[in-house]
Amino acid sequence: MSRYPCSPAEMQAVLLARDLKDGELGAAGASAAIPMAAMMLARLTHAPDLQIAGEMFVNPRPRQLWNSMLDDRALGACEAAETFLELFGHSHRGLDFFFHNGMQIDAFGNINLHHIGGTLHKPKMRGPGAANISYAATSRRFYICTGNHSQRTFVPRADFITSPGYLDGPESYHAAGLAGGPCLCVTPLAAMDFDPATLRMRLKSVHPWSSVDEVVANTGFDLGIGERVEETRLPSENELSLLRTRVDPKGLLRR
Amino acid sequence: MTAPSQRPQKLVAPDAVGGLIRAWLDDGDLLAIGGLFKQGRPMVLVREVIRSGRNRLKLVSSPGSGFDADLMIAAGCVAETFLPAVTLEDRMCPTFRSAVENGAITAHCVDALSIVGGYLAAANGVTFQPVAAWVGSDVPKHNPLIARIDCPFTGQPLYATQAIRPKLALLHAQEGDVYGNVRHLSTMTYADQMMARAAEKVIVSVDRIVDTETIVARPRETTIPCIYVDAIVEAAYGAHPTGSFPLYSIDEDHIEMYATLAEAARKGEAGADTALRAYLDRHVHHALTQQAYVESVGGAQRMKALEEEAASL
Repeated sequence: MSRYPCSPAEMQAVLLARDLKDGELGAAGASAAIPMAAMMLARLTHAPDLQIAGEMFVNPRPRQLWNSMLDDRALGACEAAETFLELFGHSHRGLDFFFHNGMQIDAFGNINLHHIGGTLHKPKMRGPGAANISYAATSRRFYICTGNHSQRTFVPRADFITSPGYLDGPESYHAAGLAGGPCLCVTPLAAMDFDPATLRMRLKSVHPWSSVDEVVANTGFDLGIGERVEETRLPSENELSLLRTRVDPKGLLRR
Repeated sequence: MTAPSQRPQKLVAPDAVGGLIRAWLDDGDLLAIGGLFKQGRPMVLVREVIRSGRNRLKLVSSPGSGFDADLMIAAGCVAETFLPAVTLEDRMCPTFRSAVENGAITAHCVDALSIVGGYLAAANGVTFQPVAAWVGSDVPKHNPLIARIDCPFTGQPLYATQAIRPKLALLHAQEGDVYGNVRHLSTMTYADQMMARAAEKVIVSVDRIVDTETIVARPRETTIPCIYVDAIVEAAYGAHPTGSFPLYSIDEDHIEMYATLAEAARKGEAGADTALRAYLDRHVHHALTQQAYVESVGGAQRMKALEEEAASL
């Protein structure tokens, strides 16, 4: 991969940054180095007034990236600190955008962080669970960002829906009273969006170091691939230089 | 003539904490732990709970937990958890995972709003908090703390999440005074303030006791007033290996060392269970004072490095 100018994680951060809009309000949760990098990069490029709030730290100014990204080490410098009391207000109002990762991500963008196989109380594998499940439902949209593009992660139907995507498609999505939903899924291999009619995940672009075949082989469901699939546009010199000098000076996304 | 002050001090000696825990927490009780993920966890008090021999405990915390929950499960103290997320963030919690998978504990399916709402209700003396924001997730279908209700004013369907009243809350902050006034210097205060109001008894560990006059000088910075605190104990580095910002940072190396041992035990590797027991002996059962604990994890030199990292942020 060394003949490419960036790492897969840097590519993911740049792709997410490009999609964030100036003046929007959003947040990333714990274990969210790539989403936080995306928000910081967007602020340094086209979205200087992006507002970060909803996860207790209001407009933080991280000086470097950390794996966890939800503690004073990462976000202690900020405009205000909130307590979990404010979680109710944020959860009910919703954010413009949020980010999710999952042990399982399914064809309708449902996220599973609870268990794989078995049942909730007799699981084959128990995951960490999720702190706040409300943002998937009450935010205008959310992004899916995972470092693991495999058939183990990308499954036809999640064994458990921790955070809802489009459930089982348009009918169940509307019946549940959901309004937002996943808009873009970025992985080390590709970017996927969602077909507005079927609400199923579909392949949008493949990163230059991967291929349609590799993406297909590592995805457990049909990605609705057309005749021609775009190649993901690599980071510009400006994007990459800001990312490396201002957002991630310690190179966490290059490890 | 002014009568002499009879105001009782809540500062207790470190060697008295174990007795208080045994007095205020029975086997099978609901125990609340302050902090969030790898920050502000009252580890010095958690080790006392383990040494107290209490078992079949039910655990609740802020929305995010990790190291301490895993350690208490490894020590055999826990029967049930009401913890929305249990993770070391860089990696999963090995003992939590194996204990749920093999049925040794029950991990109830709860989320942040039911926990925060539960504390709110308890703090306000009501039996539940209404919640509207749960749509589409499987979590409410399995959450034992909630019920469907109709709004008495609009008739609209809502959820109710029941009050959470822990028997005992253990919290950590950077500063406090002898009367139990607590001051977090960290940017975040987690759910500590709500837990203090919700729990029947509250014990707080602080990195240092300060003069009451310094508390009075900046009253808006008192995060938990003395009226909610039953005992306060001074324990330098009392949150280690979790962070106590801005005083000292998270000891990621120590947590990683523990997680590697616990992960080997989860996988059933040869000798791993013995190694995990040895960890508990060395850092919990045989480290009877905070000073002995600090020595066991690298002493003053290691603590200085964590202080320097916190100061550099």
